[in-house]
Amino acid sequence: MTAGEKRKTFLQESYLIQAWLVLLLASTFGGTLAAVQLKLGPLVAENKTRETVAQIPELIWGATSPDKPAAQKGEISIQNRLIKAGQGFYLVYEALENGKCAGWVVKSTGQGYADRIELLIGLDGKCEKITGLFILDQKETPGLGNKIIGAPWRSQFIGKDTRIPLTAVRKGTMAPDQIDAITGATISSGSVCRIINRTLQDLQKTLSETANAEEQKK
Amino acid sequence: MQYITDIALIAVGAVLINNFVLYYFVGICSFIGVSRKIETALGMGLAVTFVSTIAAFLSWVITFFILAPGAPLTRWIAGFFIPEAEAARIDLTILCYIVYIFAIASSVQFVEMYVRKFFPSLYKSFGVFLPLIATNCAILFACLTIMNHMIGVDNPGEIWDLGKALALAFFGGIGFTVAIVIMAGIRSELEFCDIPKALQGASITLIVAGILAMAFMGFTGVDAGLRAALKKKPPPPLGILEKAGDSKRLAQESTTNETIRNPNPDKEPP
Amino acid sequence: MTNEVTALKRFTQGILPENPVYRQLLGLCPTLAVTNSLKGAVTMAGAVLFVLFCANVITSLIRNLLKPHLRIIVFTLTIATFVTLVDRFLAAYMYEMSKQLGPYIPLIIVNCIIICRCEVCASKQSVIPAACDAVGQSIGFGLALTSIAAVREILGTGMLFGIRILPSVWPDWVIMVLPPGAFFTLGLLLGIVNWINAGRQQTQGKQ
Repeated sequence: MTAGEKRKTFLQESYLIQAWLVLLLASTFGGTLAAVQLKLGPLVAENKTRETVAQIPELIWGATSPDKPAAQKGEISIQNRLIKAGQGFYLVYEALENGKCAGWVVKSTGQGYADRIELLIGLDGKCEKITGLFILDQKETPGLGNKIIGAPWRSQFIGKDTRIPLTAVRKGTMAPDQIDAITGATISSGSVCRIINRTLQDLQKTLSETANAEEQKK
Repeated sequence: MQYITDIALIAVGAVLINNFVLYYFVGICSFIGVSRKIETALGMGLAVTFVSTIAAFLSWVITFFILAPGAPLTRWIAGFFIPEAEAARIDLTILCYIVYIFAIASSVQFVEMYVRKFFPSLYKSFGVFLPLIATNCAILFACLTIMNHMIGVDNPGEIWDLGKALALAFFGGIGFTVAIVIMAGIRSELEFCDIPKALQGASITLIVAGILAMAFMGFTGVDAGLRAALKKKPPPPLGILEKAGDSKRLAQESTTNETIRNPNPDKEPP
Repeated sequence: MTNEVTALKRFTQGILPENPVYRQLLGLCPTLAVTNSLKGAVTMAGAVLFVLFCANVITSLIRNLLKPHLRIIVFTLTIATFVTLVDRFLAAYMYEMSKQLGPYIPLIIVNCIIICRCEVCASKQSVIPAACDAVGQSIGFGLALTSIAAVREILGTGMLFGIRILPSVWPDWVIMVLPPGAFFTLGLLLGIVNWINAGRQQTQGKQ
């Protein structure tokens, strides 16, 4: 056997060396992963919250609303809390402008046509009107149910009263609580309405009471 | 009752609607490789189901007790070395993938030893396929789905417990078995057909799988109907109306039981 | 000298003659799953390139040091580590893409391409051929993914990378971006590749 082969067999036969090698590899990999977690972990968490928090100004104050200049001048701070209502917990963001409650954003999920739909509902300070809607996550049919993420369809919800349940209608809306459903995607449209209805049914009283309590405190 | 509903919905979802092979594309390599005869296909499917359930059990236990942020065992052990508040924030989720793949490898090893001891003829007929199950995407996919429902969930009530995790793994395996057995049946018929030379083998299998996937797409929405049927209390009001104010056609048009007829849209519903 | 020739051969073999998807039928799971958009296909190809390269290099470096029994464990550990790295990297810097690709990035761990190349090539050859093999196979994989994704995205949405290619009168064949479309596209493209190959073998046989 050549020297190289002798060394090879020696290394492979010795259990001690094998054990140390595996240990060395494992600790190297472990160290790399720990470093990655330390450096990238905060970035990932930030991405996750930014996804929701970035939408809040538009959801409450609207994209081109006359209030926006005022909102930008004032100090906006966002607090989040978990509110237990209905069947579980809701993640609710409260937007405070100059210390006063300017609006709420509720994150809600529900069953759509294909899979779960995750959405953000913007509500005004007293929780009386819907000020915005944003679809965070959906797996609806591309080209059909997918159209729920489009801004024109979502803008129908702006200004709707929170105390009246919404319905999706196929042809022509007559009443203020009706939404034009997407052609070929009535179930997706109806699911969005159903999720909003359920969320508001669970949270409307709690949020308006909280807003009133905070106002009376001042 | 709610729990049984949830499990039933997970089961129906995993077998029919979001079938592991035909919707999520996991386990395709074995799907194409082993689906020539119905007996081998059935054996492979059941082996995958078995391994998947054991692997899911191991993954859930390790994730819950060690890896998740604020997990009990990690907190207890770390509590000896660092203050309690710091220990509660330890998050070992970065190790998830490594842990899962080793859990799967161990499950395969365990199942292999079990089958070799108690079913030697079955072991011989499996040959090299049993260790290859370790590289089956379907099992790792089941573990990953369970992880997604345990970590990073806002709502503490929606975190999956052991029952739901095992249900997903088991019925995912059953869905895999259903798909692979159907494909084996079709392929045994295809042997008597005149297939162009270029399309023989994997090519025609994939095309047939596409048609099968289209057929399974018809199951979409079954779980919504099932959920509505299993609910006890009336759901919040929703109506999909043909025209505003048209309620008679509602009974024909609605596809879910969650619709309550609202003949007067102007009046607030009860 | 022979090493370099083999390295070049490894590189070119991986692209078309031993293409992992079309010729070896490996790694079909991500091929079907992420090809409903060209952007996703390119990201997945990049991820596989990184993992395969690093795994091949490390396996090749330690190939003489470990007992055969331990080799599988060490492969698996290496691959899992690098996949975790890629996953965290994508989640930190390309969050939208990470959400779209979802569970298919971690599934690179059990991707048959990587395990197969480690076993067949990296554990038997030195570093340079192994690295070239990794790059060649990944380019082949990327070619396969982009070809399928291009077909699916153009027929399914009329767009490529967000740019409109087909005129708006094209009725989007939505089925192409759904699961059945993936199966059909791969099956038909595989048939075309087989046919081209059979034709080429025939002409070579005639010569």
